[in-house]
Amino acid sequence: FTSLRECKMQDFGSLILEELDKANQLDSLKFAQRHEVDEQKIVGAIKSLESLGDVIQTKIYQVKSWQLTAEGKEVAANGSHEYRVYSAVPDSGIQQSKLMSSCGAFGKVGFSKAMSAGWIKIDKSQGAPVVMKLVESASDTVGEHMVLIQKGESEKVDAKLKGEYKKRKLLEEVVDKHYTINKGTNFRTKIEKAPTELTADMIASGTWKTTSLKPYNLDALGVETGGGCLHPLLKVRAEYRQIFLEMGFSEMRTNNFVESSFWNFDALFQPQQHPARDAHDTFFISDPATSDRFPKDYLERVKKVHSVGGFDSQGYGYDWKIEEASKNLLRTHTTAVSARMLYRAAQAPQFVPQKLFSIDRVFRNETLDATHLAEFHQIEGVVADYGITLGHCIGVINTFFTKLGIEKLRFKPAYNPYTEPSMEIFSYHEGLGKWVEIGNSGMFRPEMLLPMGLPEGVNCIGFGLSLERPTMIKYKIDNIRDLVGHKVNLEMVKRNPICRIDKSGTGEERRLQVLNRRWANIESKLSCIQKQMEVMGISTATAHGMAADSSDGNLMDVVIKVHPDKPPYSLQLLLNVLKKRFKVAASTHTHSSVKSAGSLVLSSDESRITADVKITLIYSNVTRPTMIVKNAQIQGEENIVRYLARILDSRGGGNLYESLDSKVVAQIDNILDRLTDASKHSVSTLIPGILTKSKYLAGNRVTIADILAYSLCKQAAVSNSSIKDWSKRVEDAIAKM
Amino acid sequence: MPTISVKRDILHDALGRTYTEQEFDELCFEFGLELDEVVTEKNDDGKEEIVYKIEIGANRYDLLCVEGLARALLVFQNKMKIPKYELSKPGKMERLEVDPSVLQVRPHVVGAVLRNVTFTKERYDSFIELQDKLHQNLARKRTLASVGTHDLDTIKGPFRYMARPPADIKFVPLNQTKELSSAELMDLYSTDSHLKPYLPIIRDSPVYPVIYDSNNVVLSLPPIINGEHSKITLKTRNVFIECTCTDLTKGKIVLDTLVTMFSQYSDTPFVIEPVETVSQGETSIYPSLKYRTETIRAEKCNNLVGVNQGPKEIAKLLSKMCLESKVNADDSISVTIPPTRHDVIHPCDIYEDVAIAYGYNNITKLTPGTLTVAQQLPINKLTDQLREAVAQSGFTEALTFSLCSRDDVAAKMRKKIEDIPAVHIGNPKTLEFQVARTALLPGLLKTVQANRNMPLPLKIFEISDVVLKDGGTEVGARNERHLSALFYNKTSGFEIIHGLLDRIMQLLEVPRSEKKSSSGYYLETSED
Repeated sequence: FTSLRECKMQDFGSLILEELDKANQLDSLKFAQRHEVDEQKIVGAIKSLESLGDVIQTKIYQVKSWQLTAEGKEVAANGSHEYRVYSAVPDSGIQQSKLMSSCGAFGKVGFSKAMSAGWIKIDKSQGAPVVMKLVESASDTVGEHMVLIQKGESEKVDAKLKGEYKKRKLLEEVVDKHYTINKGTNFRTKIEKAPTELTADMIASGTWKTTSLKPYNLDALGVETGGGCLHPLLKVRAEYRQIFLEMGFSEMRTNNFVESSFWNFDALFQPQQHPARDAHDTFFISDPATSDRFPKDYLERVKKVHSVGGFDSQGYGYDWKIEEASKNLLRTHTTAVSARMLYRAAQAPQFVPQKLFSIDRVFRNETLDATHLAEFHQIEGVVADYGITLGHCIGVINTFFTKLGIEKLRFKPAYNPYTEPSMEIFSYHEGLGKWVEIGNSGMFRPEMLLPMGLPEGVNCIGFGLSLERPTMIKYKIDNIRDLVGHKVNLEMVKRNPICRIDKSGTGEERRLQVLNRRWANIESKLSCIQKQMEVMGISTATAHGMAADSSDGNLMDVVIKVHPDKPPYSLQLLLNVLKKRFKVAASTHTHSSVKSAGSLVLSSDESRITADVKITLIYSNVTRPTMIVKNAQIQGEENIVRYLARILDSRGGGNLYESLDSKVVAQIDNILDRLTDASKHSVSTLIPGILTKSKYLAGNRVTIADILAYSLCKQAAVSNSSIKDWSKRVEDAIAKM
Repeated sequence: MPTISVKRDILHDALGRTYTEQEFDELCFEFGLELDEVVTEKNDDGKEEIVYKIEIGANRYDLLCVEGLARALLVFQNKMKIPKYELSKPGKMERLEVDPSVLQVRPHVVGAVLRNVTFTKERYDSFIELQDKLHQNLARKRTLASVGTHDLDTIKGPFRYMARPPADIKFVPLNQTKELSSAELMDLYSTDSHLKPYLPIIRDSPVYPVIYDSNNVVLSLPPIINGEHSKITLKTRNVFIECTCTDLTKGKIVLDTLVTMFSQYSDTPFVIEPVETVSQGETSIYPSLKYRTETIRAEKCNNLVGVNQGPKEIAKLLSKMCLESKVNADDSISVTIPPTRHDVIHPCDIYEDVAIAYGYNNITKLTPGTLTVAQQLPINKLTDQLREAVAQSGFTEALTFSLCSRDDVAAKMRKKIEDIPAVHIGNPKTLEFQVARTALLPGLLKTVQANRNMPLPLKIFEISDVVLKDGGTEVGARNERHLSALFYNKTSGFEIIHGLLDRIMQLLEVPRSEKKSSSGYYLETSED
């Protein structure tokens, strides 16, 4: 085995198997020592044998041992620092500074050690300190110990001393892993290496028929594909572009970043003193500073409608200046291009209906932050035709966003100088649980369209949004600089998924959405069945009980969704009161989005058909308790309590909330706000604080403030004595109502 | 858009009931306002109060104070009748005389008197706040108009509005104890964060505008500061309002808004005493409080909004928006636009109010009926096709800014800025926005710089617009679509970029010209 050191891993493997065959058990450390090879190579061979499938069995054991550090090795070679310092002192003594400079790096440590060992002393009687030998000879124990340990005879050195050497950083304790090897159930001495790949040679020679291939490692990742990738924002741009094209919108020519104020503002009936025209908000161009080639007649009409009005308008009543209109700027919106397109359409001999879109860069000289840059992409859609109405505007926007997978939309009145009516577009963001603004829209003002020469009766709708914002939301990017600009991480660009724009959220969120949709489907089917039953005369909802409001049909039919971690104990209290006054049907269900129901179960003996009040409690994966009543949603336990209390107060003489004195109501609202704002006030400190002043939270009678607080305490399992007493009082008072 | 701060409890008082935050948010949304934020603020007594921050449309000056906001919301909910604003007929009208000297500086002044007003701390604060909001928004930071309000019982008309050299105007300004000349005043306020921004409006003028009473008491130095002498206090009962302006239309709106809002607190609410302005021999009476009538037709309104409402219903909807309306015999509708609604300048503004009152979210969604055939812009289509092709060739897409510094396009590329046909920005806030880029390469180089930790080689590209100065176009500049690609490795790898070029040419069906003629493409050595 002279050449064993050059052996390959597989050869070690065969060797191990051969020896194992004879000895029945092997030790990796001893095996390595016997063959004078690095144990790591043997370990590699063992691992490789293990992968063959129970040919061998191994057990790991650990051995702690002492090893010299680099400094320790130096001591072993040259003697300890203190000994070297001692040896450097001549019998006649030496000046300390000279000694130190002659000893170099080890001098300082060696000196102090030699001092404490009592080998040397300092004599300061002649001014400069002189070092003298104190003993005639010294034996270098430390150095000897290092040599011993280096030879692997560390057991000969006292354990306490080894601890000290460790502190001196001469020694370190290392833990080595070794293997005990036994025969496995499939033990054999011959191993053939399983080829990993099928090769052309194998096929040609026919050996593939008898060769066993190594199985694929399915837990490892594949090799990266390489190739180039498209930028995420532009992938989203391509999708939006596609949607517009599907809807029959033609693309506008927007490749002109430099625009005149005239087309960017004046043509859009944006007055010259408008704040957007300030240097604060707009990039003005110093070179080329101005434009002057405007259509002359049109310019005059624009001037007139701004300054004195016309086309049924009062105008803005100010002195319109051509100098202001000629200033060049970087366009602040692509609506400047839309204006040019509409003007062009107006010049055609006969007006042709227009459906136009663009997605391109616009520029704002604004304050920059995590979501705003000085340039961004604006998406814009424009429709001009006879008989177009605000209803069409809402319809087109609705279609557009439905294609994006956004279905819950609502519109808020807004102000925009060039549109009237104007609408802000809001969509319900499931993740945030609130309505967020996603775009702007409206009908272009007649003061903009008529001076262009568009025929009377042609209306024009427009809507716009930014490309960056929905992209950031889609890909969950918080800082716009991580998406746009040269600082973007190319790795992000590589890893970014393809843009399936109508599929929002992550894979898991999408699966949850499917579940929710299925659930909503079931709910709507159920309500259809209910309606059919009513038609068949099975329902007797309004025939019974209390003074039913004719507009209501039955008094109340609500679905309340809550998370199982927060059972709405407030409902339990209110339900007790409701049951005494109305026929109440209550039931509790668990949605598949949660594993189990909450601890509270609402139920009643009344059937849904005869009940006036129907409450369905569903444990579901919602962040806030949500009540669905008719088509509306009420969020938050406090608001659900308010709603139920209002009905109780107005129809059942509940006296829990708004039927009380207005000061008390304000007090209740205040407490509800504070209770809800859990970030600032913990219920366990808030409630006892209020209770020191009165019997109940809002004075001397039980109100919904107590009901909500009761529920929150129970959810948080708060129980100190004052809360316990008060909870009991609340339960008793409710029972008496 | 302006945001106003309103104390919740005061708002609830004014609205006659309490609202939960969510209920109020809903009401705002429907009306076109946005409850932006709810905060807790300490008042002067150290008590915590809940304050609503409400975003108001930039054209609704009548909603910039709690008085107007509550009034509009109450009318919207049919809980209040639209108030009628009237001018009183005083025995002797207060007069503002305009001296010709002021015509060059700040030519107009309008005025009004609120009689027998009862102020409280809250009302007073709201009054000041509204003036500030009007100054900031409508009056464009006092450049177009500015208001001074005075305790009328401390001054005596007629009032003279004139311009005098700065050194000649001496008075004790508001909240000061010492008399100062207006020049000294400019020094004093040059460090005042609130007033400093307004100083440039008149600072360099040889004469400053000033208003005196008949005893030569200085009322104000518009648009900077009022005098201490006529300062309003909580005890003030009669308020003299003057509004000086460079834009008379705006001045009138400011005055109308102030008096319609705060005449609410007069003993006879909504009655305002007029003041006459005499300028160059002509007498005008303010506030104008003009009620204008527009006649609209239901069909036109329906055709714009996309609803089907009869004239009566439309009139009813408009009354919710403070636009008193009545149906005429011919079914047309006469709409009265009150002096609070200066934003209504066209029938389309009236139609919008119909739509708001009807509820945007109640309008039926429609689809435009005309068939249109979509056209892609050829250059954008080609761009997208090329982006795909270049990415398939192994290059990753970068997206860089179209604005950059002068050095980015010039010095860093070893060129002189004078030689580059760049479009220059006149008012850049930082170096990053000095010019529009004339090439894509600097952006790609910066991308490499930011991605030095990536494994080599880096292959990136961008297809986007650059901007070049071009006297032949309407605005003097044009965009040009460029493709730029960059290979970054330890060796230069020219053949890689060359290969990409060949591939692109192959895709574009441009042949390689062996003879270096114009019928194909070829490469040539050049110095750059």
